[in-house]
Amino acid sequence: MTMRDYLIRRIIVIIPTFLLITVIIFALIHLAPGDPIDIIFKGPHGGLSPEAKEAMIIEYGLDQPIHIQYFTWLSKLLRGDLGYSYINQQSVWEMMTLRIPWTVELMLTAEIISIIIAIVLGVIAAVKHHSIYDALSSLGALAGYSIPDFWLALIMMLVFALWLRWFPSSGHQTVGIAFATPFDAFGDHLAHLILPAVTLVIMWTAYLFRMVRSAMLDVLTQDFITTARAKGLTELIVVYKHALRNALLPVVTYVGYSIGFLLSGAVVIEKIFNWEGLGQLVVERTMVRDYPALMGLSIVVAIMVLVANLCSDIAYAAVDPRIRYD
Amino acid sequence: MSGRLRKNSKKKEEKIHKPSRATRLFVVWRKLKKSELAIVGFCIVLFMSLVALLAPMIMPYRLNDYRISNQPPSMEHILGTDAMGRDMLSLVMYGARISIYVGLGAVLVELAIGLSIGMIAGYFGGIIDEVLMRFTDVIFSLPTLLMLLLAVSMFEVRSIHLMLLIMGVLGWPFLARVVRSEYLSLREATYVEAARSMGASNSRIIVRHILPNILSVIIVLATMDIPWFILYEATLTYLGFGDPLSSSWGYLLQSGYPHMVSSPWIMIAPGLALVITSLGFNLLGDGLRDALDIKVRE
Repeated sequence: MTMRDYLIRRIIVIIPTFLLITVIIFALIHLAPGDPIDIIFKGPHGGLSPEAKEAMIIEYGLDQPIHIQYFTWLSKLLRGDLGYSYINQQSVWEMMTLRIPWTVELMLTAEIISIIIAIVLGVIAAVKHHSIYDALSSLGALAGYSIPDFWLALIMMLVFALWLRWFPSSGHQTVGIAFATPFDAFGDHLAHLILPAVTLVIMWTAYLFRMVRSAMLDVLTQDFITTARAKGLTELIVVYKHALRNALLPVVTYVGYSIGFLLSGAVVIEKIFNWEGLGQLVVERTMVRDYPALMGLSIVVAIMVLVANLCSDIAYAAVDPRIRYD
Repeated sequence: MSGRLRKNSKKKEEKIHKPSRATRLFVVWRKLKKSELAIVGFCIVLFMSLVALLAPMIMPYRLNDYRISNQPPSMEHILGTDAMGRDMLSLVMYGARISIYVGLGAVLVELAIGLSIGMIAGYFGGIIDEVLMRFTDVIFSLPTLLMLLLAVSMFEVRSIHLMLLIMGVLGWPFLARVVRSEYLSLREATYVEAARSMGASNSRIIVRHILPNILSVIIVLATMDIPWFILYEATLTYLGFGDPLSSSWGYLLQSGYPHMVSSPWIMIAPGLALVITSLGFNLLGDGLRDALDIKVRE
């Protein structure tokens, strides 16, 4: 099989995967016990009169058989129509496009910083295997890995925002202040970014560090490293040019595959720091069971994950000549 | 295998000093003992399990007293009291019950699904494998927390049992993939061929011949998944999707949030309990992995 065939095959596989995901998400929401209309309009809104309920059911097509509902939803979805919120009639797509940039900003910042830190620390730990530094940093990573993300976020908020008052505790801009220059506004925004970003960096660095370290340990025992050393190359070149390049391969794949995990972390962090991204939207809409919004959100997130996985598979296949496409 | 054949082979095994199950367990224990961190992990897990088991008996206080609400840690209440005047130490002890129960319960559900799918896919291969693995990949690619939120919010009942069921149902794909790859390689093993030639049925080979050989992998993976389930339960409960009747650590954290500035100890104690428990399971999992010399492959 050539690289091109592999790519085509890999992309074709995405189609049934995507369809299966739409079925799962649809089923999860529609086959759950309870009538969505009843559930939404219970409680704070009070009950709904039978006529009004009837009208809602017809408006949202909930009187149709379930498979018809699914195909209607799917065909709209394929045309880019994610429907309208049950709660405030807002277009789901519009609602999301307002939030996506914030999530991307937060995730990219945290991701890039944690990749850099994890690689530096992971390489040192692997090179100094069995040293006190290795033991301490591994233990630190394990501790970081064991801390619940929401609790870490709360502690950061308590210490740095509420006690020390170094950084603001929520939102992404101070409300009600006229900034003299765009730089001031940007600085204010950065101050808001720091706490959620640092929380994510701690979590993800702990996660990636373990990965980099074990990949490096694997590579460092291989023959070509001995060869490189035997050729008289300096240790710096052996480690950073020969070993690291090869160790990065699994790390690259891993970063691609971990995007779902990263998004999960972002959901909680965004909620706690009131960062108005997709994650916060997810929690908000789950609270009120806004089904169209939740379906749209899950689909978009699932597509993001699928694309990220595809990219990392392609990157892996392109970079590693040893890979067999089967 | 007929009874007689089995007896004979057993005799032979004894002659070549095949280690018994107890001996093998002892060897693992000895290797585990070499790593101090693994022992720390083991002790933490043991301690937390004991606390969970004995909580109703060893809880220092049972009732709440509104006159002593929001008190900082003192000699009487070493972790302080919460807004309802309940002793934090007692609450945290009781919370261990829920966390350990959720962790173990969800892992059992995960094992039931992941093992079955992995075994069948890996052993039979072919189209069955293809279909099951595509399905596994799909579940694997769904962002776990998002799906958990969605699934938990779909039910009107908020119950801890339902939550652990949902976590298990969504959490099995990685395990299934690992189990599948083990079966894929072991089904070609000579001892499997021997069993087959003696007329052992597929189900017998899967359960009696191959399963015992991958038990160590399964134990390691299960140990490493327990803290995830515990943390997910805490996260979901903290976000307000938990069982309102169970005072789990996540619930304590949620109820401590409004008093975060004035009485931070309400939030710190259950959080630390979570960190220590999940650290314990992670240390033990890492230690077991090294002691059993397992490379998780996919």
